[in-house]
Amino acid sequence: MLELRDLRVEYGAAPALWGVSLAIPERKLVCIVGPNGAGKTTLINAIAGLHRAKSGRIVMDGTDMTSLPSHRYCSAGIAIVPEGRRLFTRMSVRENLEVGSYTRAARKDRDRSLDYICTLFPAVRDKLDSVAGSLSGGQQQMVAIGRALMARPRLLLLDEPSLGLSPLIVQAMFGAIREVNAAGTAVLLVEQNVANALEIADFAYLLEEGRIVAEGAPNVLFNNPELRRAYLGIVPGH
Amino acid sequence: MTFPSGTLLAQSALSGVFIGSLYGLLGLGVGLAWGLLHVINLAHFAFAFLAAYLCYQLASVGGMDPLLTLALIVPLFAALGAALQWVLERFDVSPLNSLLATFGIAAIIEAGIQWEWTADFRKLESVYAGRTFKVGVLFVPLPELLTLLLSLILAFGIWAAMRYTNLGRALRALAEDAPIAAAFGINRRAHALVLAGVCGALAGIAGVCLALTYTLTPSQIYAWVGVVFAAVMLGGLGSALGPLTGGIVIGVSEAVTMAFVSPSWAPIVSFSLLIGLLLLKPERS
Repeated sequence: MLELRDLRVEYGAAPALWGVSLAIPERKLVCIVGPNGAGKTTLINAIAGLHRAKSGRIVMDGTDMTSLPSHRYCSAGIAIVPEGRRLFTRMSVRENLEVGSYTRAARKDRDRSLDYICTLFPAVRDKLDSVAGSLSGGQQQMVAIGRALMARPRLLLLDEPSLGLSPLIVQAMFGAIREVNAAGTAVLLVEQNVANALEIADFAYLLEEGRIVAEGAPNVLFNNPELRRAYLGIVPGH
Repeated sequence: MTFPSGTLLAQSALSGVFIGSLYGLLGLGVGLAWGLLHVINLAHFAFAFLAAYLCYQLASVGGMDPLLTLALIVPLFAALGAALQWVLERFDVSPLNSLLATFGIAAIIEAGIQWEWTADFRKLESVYAGRTFKVGVLFVPLPELLTLLLSLILAFGIWAAMRYTNLGRALRALAEDAPIAAAFGINRRAHALVLAGVCGALAGIAGVCLALTYTLTPSQIYAWVGVVFAAVMLGGLGSALGPLTGGIVIGVSEAVTMAFVSPSWAPIVSFSLLIGLLLLKPERS
């Protein structure tokens, strides 16, 4: 469904990408792991249209998106849960979700999407009329995922959704991500929490210094003892 | 104070509300552009005066009803506002530079007005001008009352639009985090042009109110800047109801000071209010 071909991005102080190629098939959950500063956020932002590519191609359903302005990415079926959530903190939770369903196609399903999100995250239902900035970190993360789902994406981009959250909430979050994926939405997940991410991923890429250095099914990719030690903190024999 | 001061106080307060509503009407467009577009638009005042002179021309020379001139002035100034925004975008002007650039545009418009209408005082003698009615002991002039009503309708209308329409929510989302708003499909440039058009139209409407209530001279453009900025800061940038509230607070405090102390004290009171508020609530600015 989505394909990156030799994508190069240089964006201010953000880590650059030096020719990244990857594919996200329909309905799959793909995970990108890698150390801090590898360019994971740059990569996910480029796919959401937030960063311009210097060269290479972003192709969605056979359409070249690379030169389109960022507001055209959403109606192509891509929605992002950005690093640090970036909710509209001065607006209410309901308004955040409504902005999520801004595109014409998503607007038609607004009520149904809202219902779905309140079922997925029951805590959100009670907070609909609260100012988004007043919510706890976990609740804000749920709203950020909800806002992206309101766009009715076929590809959901998640940048570190578990960052700074308590283990209990992280479990709930991963449960919700799995549920969304099972309902047919492809997911691209960037995670520090590698063990959790690989558990639910169909396919994984390892990004280092702006390059894909390894790829494969998670259990195959991380059979390599060196990678296990570096990214999972698992020492063989323990 | 002497005996008639009760009536004097009420009459002063009322005229303060009237002038304050004009501060608020001018401040509405200034505050929206500042808070949501990050443009500090001094040309807004010049647009208002240009609209006032056009209204004067159409009404006193062309014989049109001053309120009917809105039908021409509103679309014209909406287009001017959008055009200005297009130019500022085209040259990627920062907020501070927008202040300088629009100051230059204001000076050009002032010169244009002076060239066309000279620096002489102009007063629109309309069917509304002489109309005053008496409510109890208070005199209510019709042009001022019209200004107040227009300000209230526009401020509440824009407040509701910001809250309850997709366009309004999109504008607020853009103001807070433009890249993320764009990632959800909101076209920033198109929305900025629409909002700038609305601000231009507001300048045009404020201009018609100016023509109805004041004697016009080109240099007066700058006399309004300080006090309208104060009203905008008091009310909060980007707020729809704030500038009107701030404007009325300033207008009333000025009018009461003028009546009971001395006219020269009026600016001191209103700007002390502003400085005091900014010290107590610095997050407003």
